[in-house]
Amino acid sequence: MLILRIAIDVLIAIGAIFALAGTLGVMRMPDTFCRMQASTCVTTLGVIGVGLGALLYAIFIMGSAATAVKVLVICGLVLVTNPVGAHAIAKGAYQAGIRPEKRMETEDYRRDFDE
Amino acid sequence: MHKTSFAGVASTFLLCFIFWILLTWSADAQELITGAMISLAVALFSSRFFIHENPTWFLNPVKLLNGIAFWLFIFPVELVKANVDVAKRCFTGCKNVNPGIVKVPVNLKSMYGQAALANAITLTPGTITMEITEEDGRTYYYIHWIDAKLPGGEEAGEAIKGRLERGLRRVWE
Repeated sequence: MLILRIAIDVLIAIGAIFALAGTLGVMRMPDTFCRMQASTCVTTLGVIGVGLGALLYAIFIMGSAATAVKVLVICGLVLVTNPVGAHAIAKGAYQAGIRPEKRMETEDYRRDFDE
Repeated sequence: MHKTSFAGVASTFLLCFIFWILLTWSADAQELITGAMISLAVALFSSRFFIHENPTWFLNPVKLLNGIAFWLFIFPVELVKANVDVAKRCFTGCKNVNPGIVKVPVNLKSMYGQAALANAITLTPGTITMEITEEDGRTYYYIHWIDAKLPGGEEAGEAIKGRLERGLRRVWE
């Protein structure tokens, strides 16, 4: 039981650390697109870590199948919907006129889409 | 975009309904009827936006096993590596980012494969797929890359998505 508790705590701590890193990145990165990159940290390992910890907790300590399935569905839905939103936000931001702050070395997108 | 077809509506309805049952987790008739109505409405409105290809690839056991291996082993390894890299950049400050939008060719023909690869790239921290275009019969992705070491083309594609693409090609080619 102790090992289980430790495993759950470690998983949730890993998730929290990556969520912290992503949040710091959102505040510190130089432009919109880099901030979006940092936020993916939160939605991948942050969610997976906390979700796995919650899953173990739901199965072995709460003993509730409904909670376990809900945790799985939440993780799955976040992982499936996050990239779709990210495509839309990145493309929308670019088309709305937001440009990367630094002078980029590789600007294929600008060459092809900005006449 | 496609026309609304019966097969499209039926498959979207089924997917929505399964998710409804998983989320409510009850066999009460009232819940099921509400879920069916909402799923039908969602399917009627949204099915034409989804991929219309033969979805029975997973009945082939080799492809199914390759798919499971990809999502359970290949992809998580890449995910953890990229996560650690981006987390380091976040903690150590922002002088070590070198962002750029690169254009890389993709060798997947199937729409499912292309969609799965674009989503896998976006889920990996450090890379976001911004657009998919087709030129001269080849598919290209525009990818925003936080550490653009290479100016695009085959080599940049190998660095960004080499393993992911090889894993997915075993499933959908």
